[in-house]
Amino acid sequence: MGKTYARFTGAPLKVHKITNPWRSPSGTLPALRTSHGEVISVPHKIITHLRKEKYNADYDLSARQGADTLAFMSLLEEKLLPVLIHTFWVDTKNYVEVTRKWYAEAMPFPLNFFLPGRMQRQYMERLQLLCGEHRPENEEELEKELYQEARECLTLLSQRLGSQKFFFGDAPASLDAFVFSYLALLLQAKLPSGKLQAHLRGLHNLCAYCTHILSLYFPWDGAGVPPPRQTPAGPETEEEPYRRRNQILSVLAGLAAMVGYALLSGIVSIQRATPARAPGTRALGMAEEDEEE
Amino acid sequence: MSLVAEAFVSQIAAAEPWPENATLYQQLKGEQILLSDNAASLAVQAFLQMCNLPIKVVCRANAEYMSPSGKVPFIHVGNQVVSELGPIVQFVKAKGHSLSDGLDEVQKAEMKAYMELVNNMLLTAELYLQWCDEATVGEITHARYGSPYPWPLNHILAYQKQWEVRRKMKAIGWGKKTLDQVLEDVDQCCQALSQRLGTQPYFFNKQPTELDALVFGHLYTILTTQLTSDELSEKVKNYSNLLAFCRRIEQHYFEDRGKVLKKHSRWYF
Repeated sequence: MGKTYARFTGAPLKVHKITNPWRSPSGTLPALRTSHGEVISVPHKIITHLRKEKYNADYDLSARQGADTLAFMSLLEEKLLPVLIHTFWVDTKNYVEVTRKWYAEAMPFPLNFFLPGRMQRQYMERLQLLCGEHRPENEEELEKELYQEARECLTLLSQRLGSQKFFFGDAPASLDAFVFSYLALLLQAKLPSGKLQAHLRGLHNLCAYCTHILSLYFPWDGAGVPPPRQTPAGPETEEEPYRRRNQILSVLAGLAAMVGYALLSGIVSIQRATPARAPGTRALGMAEEDEEE
Repeated sequence: MSLVAEAFVSQIAAAEPWPENATLYQQLKGEQILLSDNAASLAVQAFLQMCNLPIKVVCRANAEYMSPSGKVPFIHVGNQVVSELGPIVQFVKAKGHSLSDGLDEVQKAEMKAYMELVNNMLLTAELYLQWCDEATVGEITHARYGSPYPWPLNHILAYQKQWEVRRKMKAIGWGKKTLDQVLEDVDQCCQALSQRLGTQPYFFNKQPTELDALVFGHLYTILTTQLTSDELSEKVKNYSNLLAFCRRIEQHYFEDRGKVLKKHSRWYF
């Protein structure tokens, strides 16, 4: 999302593709190292920072639209994010066939063995905490409720978008970056069990919206969002003198490529100390086996 | 509730009219209830007043445990028990009363989004302040939360709840926030609400909706609860249209109907 926003505003952004979260300056992805050497890693803060540096896609928005942006972002975070987490990390088929493969292929040996598993556990715990207060008795019921709320949320978005090109008229704003990063991921990933995807495909104006943005800002990505490892170092060649508005469009393009990371890994804080845990648990598993013998 | 149960409840709800003896349960007003729960309870009360539905407020120390979802407030209507504003709005709608029928689709979408904004930012900030800010926890929260129970239960319950809330804060990324950042977020949220409200009497012009009830619940509670410092209420006071909004609803839906929003002795406005 940070990258999309940067694209939107044409901020000169050098994207370093790091697959190893430990090499990131702050230990999390995405991380933005500013010209002052500061490191910011929360997507919202990245956007705030870019705004301060005068790259502002929301410049032309009225106060009321700014308020709407905040409201809709909250809506998405509250309703859509848990379901996305569920779709990619908790739903077994999806996890095994898509998510784990993505991460395993993108990470260097030997991280690819245990890091995806650890991320999965963290996500499951997070999901439990977020929704666990409600009714933890029945997993299936919880799932159904989650998906129903997500479907409602998507329908609401569709209604709000109507037949406009972007949420606030003809030029993209940060809300568009936000929404796009969620929707693009959902649309493009080839999920074996994609109930939410099916619903999203039924909302034609949202699909058109995504394809429109993709074609405008991510022309080289072709038909879809490639898995993170294939992302070209395209953003670094973005020195062509586009007008600010066009630059805004290209920001979106870079973001879509980074969407996988920005969305899924940006919210996970991987601290340096904890990785030791995973090999530890493995060792424990082996020790137990030894004991049994 | 599950979809089937919801449909079932709706059917039953639709069958009977709103009774005279409907009750709302919350924790003890004077000694026990906390900021966030009070805000939620007030929001529901405001909503029911706006719908012209009579409700009696009953205070019980174990209201949290009586509630079907573990959250207060909950209402007992006929032989059904419904908790939290969202489900209560649905329940009331099934009985034929609704405040948002006059809105078109886009407005309904906006209403839902703003309600999420309030829940996401204001409610979370209230929880943070109550349970993660050491000063408030020590001076106010622990004492209040466990007050109806004897020692050592009061401490155990308070610590348990604190641990639960802190876990949740960590999960949503608020664990590392400082108080200043939280107050910043509250300010942003209030600014958004203020901008959306503008000069209108209610968020969707002439008639109040559940969004107005929710915002009133939270803002009024923030303004009238005395905490260790005034920073939280100062953030809200910066926006005069929000203050006027709260005053308007208090006057129109509570004082004019003879219901005094009982002000706790430690509150001030």
